[in-house]
Amino acid sequence: MTDTRQEALIREAIAAEADQAVDHRTVLANLHGARSRRRPLALFAATGLTAVAAAVAVIVPLAVDRSAAPSQVDPAAPPATAQTVLLIGLDGSANTDSVVLARVGADGAVSAASLPRDSLVDIPGVGQGKLNSAYARAHQAAEAEGRDGDEAGVESLTRTVEALTGVEVDHYASVDMAAFSTLSEAVGGVEVCLKRASRDPLSGADLRAGPQSLSGAQALAFLRQRHGLENGELDRIVRQQTFLRALAKKVVASDPAQVADLARVAARHLRVDPGWNLVEFAARLTPTVRTAIVPLGEVVDSEQGQALSVDPAAVREFLAGFFADGATGAPTGGFSVPLPATETQKPGRTPQDGDCVR
Amino acid sequence: MPADYDQFVTERLDRLLRYATALTCDKHLAQDIVQDVLLRARQKWARIGAVDVPYLYVKRMVTNEYLSWRRRRAARDVSSTHVVLDDLAPSVADPAVRHAERDEMRARIAVLPRKQRAALVLRYYEDSTDAEIAEILGCAEGTVRSHISRALHTLRVNENTPSEVLR
Repeated sequence: MTDTRQEALIREAIAAEADQAVDHRTVLANLHGARSRRRPLALFAATGLTAVAAAVAVIVPLAVDRSAAPSQVDPAAPPATAQTVLLIGLDGSANTDSVVLARVGADGAVSAASLPRDSLVDIPGVGQGKLNSAYARAHQAAEAEGRDGDEAGVESLTRTVEALTGVEVDHYASVDMAAFSTLSEAVGGVEVCLKRASRDPLSGADLRAGPQSLSGAQALAFLRQRHGLENGELDRIVRQQTFLRALAKKVVASDPAQVADLARVAARHLRVDPGWNLVEFAARLTPTVRTAIVPLGEVVDSEQGQALSVDPAAVREFLAGFFADGATGAPTGGFSVPLPATETQKPGRTPQDGDCVR
Repeated sequence: MPADYDQFVTERLDRLLRYATALTCDKHLAQDIVQDVLLRARQKWARIGAVDVPYLYVKRMVTNEYLSWRRRRAARDVSSTHVVLDDLAPSVADPAVRHAERDEMRARIAVLPRKQRAALVLRYYEDSTDAEIAEILGCAEGTVRSHISRALHTLRVNENTPSEVLR
């Protein structure tokens, strides 16, 4: 066989492969379709970014802010009830990078409490362990048996969180943290400020001090880095909150078509429970959001390395106040992370725009 | 949003999808990549729209996305449902035989190393010159020729190797 004939065959083969392409009109509709929608932000909410954002409990309310969502709630709809949502940030495999328990009140106000992943808790059916091992352990066991690892992971984590907090979880959303790499690129970078330069080979972080715009891999490293930070996991939670606020600002400033695209990107990294009506959920969110970290005890040694001791009674008491209907203002009793850049910090204060973080 | 972004998408989307599909051998991955790339391209359109050949630039983005590590896990999963024949009939008169040969070639191309496959698709589908391929893949022209020659060699060697999946 001559090369010429082989080359002709290669051409035909590649052309046949190319013919398998999806219809470009479908993709065109994806790219453009949302431009004419009346409620781009509601769409954006419904298709996922809202939940991603809620997943770290900050973006949603900010994004919905501009859309004046409350006025669009169908008056004929049954009265809304408060919902408790477990938001899980995954690092791409089965590691839970962040766990947030959020209460969305009947009035749409969000209260979100971060549960540090290194908290030493009682995992039902397993015993004492770090919070983040609940998901990973169940995931691994299920996969080994050929079952859905994500489902098993969520179930185990849900039971663990319920046992710790005494709060029943109505819905969950899990988000692959890699979404934030893509999203930060899509909005052209997210502005953050670092107190000092930071390098960490584990997360790949190589960040300079001062204000800067992060996107892609460095944005993800910024969100993931724990090592080399004074307060480790707790500093990371502050980073995540700060980053999400800044990202939310960019999202809100994006044009509607862009937002719809962002939502699509986000939706690919999102998993929610099948019974959750996201449209209804998104429609009644309000810009009111309060964030906190549950009360924590001392650093202790556990079988899985250093962990944070947690007193379930203290957590329950804190959440009872924090999640109470009509609760407003700064939460009391939660763990507060010192924010070095500001003199006006007070316990429970959530990070603000422009705060420099560790 | 400059109007010519929309125009670019309208004119080039089909070709980009076909290119990405030929590259990835996976139409869904191809769709994901093209959508992601066009979303990012829109952000930077002021710059991309100003270059001589925006299509080349966007094609490079698509190629890089495919070659980048983030996609590697997804792309490793290559469909291998094509029927593999033992050897090629000397005659090509029968269209059915020709068809089978083509499908077999598709299967063999699908398992080539990624850069070799990219170079092959660029030359034989996009009719790019070696210089263009070098620019898109971000390597020297000599490297392009070596990718292609190794790919052609592999495809030729495999032709004469009896397949173990023969029934």
